[in-house]
Amino acid sequence: MSAAPIPDGRLTIQKHRRFLQRHLAILPSKYQEYEANKLAIVTYALIGLSCIGDPVSEEYAASKEWLRRHYRVIGRGETSLAGFFPSLYMEVENALTLSLTSTLFGLISLLCLNDHKFFISDVDREGICRFVSKCHKPETGGFAASLDVVAEDSLEPSKTDPDDLRHTYMAIAILYLMGCRNASEFGRYVCLEPLFSHFEQKACVSGGFGQYGEPHAGYTSCALSILELISDRWDIFPNSFYDKTIEWLLQRQVSDKCPEMSGNEYFDPEDDGGFQGRENKFADSCYGFWCANSLSILKAPHKVGDAYQNGLSEYLLNKTQNLLLGGFAKNDNEDPDLYHTCLTLAALSMMSGEFDGTLFLPRKVADTARSQFIAP
Amino acid sequence: MSDAPEFQYDDIEPLPISGGQEGELCQIMYDGEYRTVMGIARALLQKLEFSERALHATSQAIDLVPAFYTMWNYRFQIVKALYGTDGAELNRELDWLDEFTLNNPKNYQIWSYRQALLRLHPSPEFQRELPILQSMIDDDTKNYHVWSYRRWCVLFFGDFTNELQFASSLIARDVYNNSAWCHRMFVLKNQVPKGPPAEALTGELHYTKKQIELAPQNISSWNYLRGLYDEFLDGKADPAIMEFALSFTPGIFAADASDTGPQIQSSYALEFLARAYAKNEDTFAQARKAYQALSDHFDPIRKNFWAYKIRSLTA
Repeated sequence: MSAAPIPDGRLTIQKHRRFLQRHLAILPSKYQEYEANKLAIVTYALIGLSCIGDPVSEEYAASKEWLRRHYRVIGRGETSLAGFFPSLYMEVENALTLSLTSTLFGLISLLCLNDHKFFISDVDREGICRFVSKCHKPETGGFAASLDVVAEDSLEPSKTDPDDLRHTYMAIAILYLMGCRNASEFGRYVCLEPLFSHFEQKACVSGGFGQYGEPHAGYTSCALSILELISDRWDIFPNSFYDKTIEWLLQRQVSDKCPEMSGNEYFDPEDDGGFQGRENKFADSCYGFWCANSLSILKAPHKVGDAYQNGLSEYLLNKTQNLLLGGFAKNDNEDPDLYHTCLTLAALSMMSGEFDGTLFLPRKVADTARSQFIAP
Repeated sequence: MSDAPEFQYDDIEPLPISGGQEGELCQIMYDGEYRTVMGIARALLQKLEFSERALHATSQAIDLVPAFYTMWNYRFQIVKALYGTDGAELNRELDWLDEFTLNNPKNYQIWSYRQALLRLHPSPEFQRELPILQSMIDDDTKNYHVWSYRRWCVLFFGDFTNELQFASSLIARDVYNNSAWCHRMFVLKNQVPKGPPAEALTGELHYTKKQIELAPQNISSWNYLRGLYDEFLDGKADPAIMEFALSFTPGIFAADASDTGPQIQSSYALEFLARAYAKNEDTFAQARKAYQALSDHFDPIRKNFWAYKIRSLTA
């Protein structure tokens, strides 16, 4: 169930395939610092391969069981908690090591490998939802990514985790994959009112979302994806705010045709067509994904046209693609890396209608998840 | 552990890291140091040991895997168990964190760990946080995490005293620093619940205009100007500000503006004007002209969007 490959002759598919496959094989010791993100590495590589049309569910079928070993159910029955931890060496007896991040990446990876049995019959759905619920901080509306590693009196959200919109997105996406489809269903596990007031604090004066009033394309994509997944609570902001956000997002596309910007160290005419994450920053391939996803959630192509996609595709293919090593870089002068490769391929695939940016899955895989894994 | 001979771990059996499982993906070739450090830190956690040597073991583990959230949380629990709310000891922990922060500026955990320490601290001080904030900003003047942490501190300590001045100093260094402009808006929106007093607003308008004159093609200062009007002045652009904006777009609205278009200094001034003209049916013609000029000459990459704005001009 891979995506139809991205239809562009300039894509050096064979090189990207090898670049991505290398990341799933044996990695040198410098990767040990990413041990806590191992399931993210797996996800980025599997998603990247899916975007170029590789049948990953066949090629990596033998890894389903290995992935499932990262899944744990703690306790039993009505109070069980379930989720994934990031690596087999990071599970420690007596300690709570599950995380929202690993849980979402674990679920996405199993979906890429077509492990429907896991979702339909094997997973402790309520246990996963309870884990998400335990990470929730109703007093602020946000989420920690994990629990305090040693529980004192009760299980508490980790006091040392950040609680920004990335974690809220992960929590909501996990609940969606566990079957929640609207506010009343999500409301069984999270307190939506504080979550929405948390949201309102992140909405910025000039449109977009970010921390303490500074809009950021990544957080904007998280916020809009959450609204899309919850589906029936777009009313928490007025339409004018969404219009402002479309404008803010379109303004993130860098152009070399503008009046002179003397002295701006963060302007590079080579960035033309690419998207930046914030005002007066360089373009970066990953923000092409976050902005294009946000614009597509806001149905910008219907409203204002999709010309921004042409400029973005040109930038991604001509400036960030590494024709020698394979992979994509963040811009026109860095080395390629896995994260930017995955996000760039996802952006290109999304623009040809084959990728669901809200669930971060190839469209066909997302369609199955959307239609089949519904709460009982 | 050669750099800390005072800690003995001889009685600890390191938890092994076994590789080569069936179907394993991303098989990392761990080096010897990694195996030892992780083996000991995990073994101590498994024993739930809360001790000075466990604290040291977590710092070594975090050095190797900065995103290892479990170790950060374990470390925090050790700190709580050993020091409780002893301010001097917690300051020592903050010192360790300063050092770690300087070496790992992009890490996500450092700031939330710091927040947890300050919440635990009996007498936290904004003053103590300023040097690390300063050196991190000096290192990267647009570091999003650092600015976020600063704003968290401002709210946590309820102290806005130095913030406008701080933002000004960063804007003086680089007028295009969007974080510094957002910081200004953050101060204005949060310092006084009812919004800033009239004289402060006048001062801000004056300041912003001066910065725009220095660099007219700057989206950050124009966004800020727009924000001042939208948030605090009912969104109504007055004749003085219209005239100010017009001074950067000479000739655009002349009846015989030629097809090639005159040179202007700022497309953002033109957008500002277009937005104001679009609010009133009587000035739709000017709005159309401004959007058309953006589309044709000064911001053609957003042609579709400017066409949409022209379509939206309806009474």
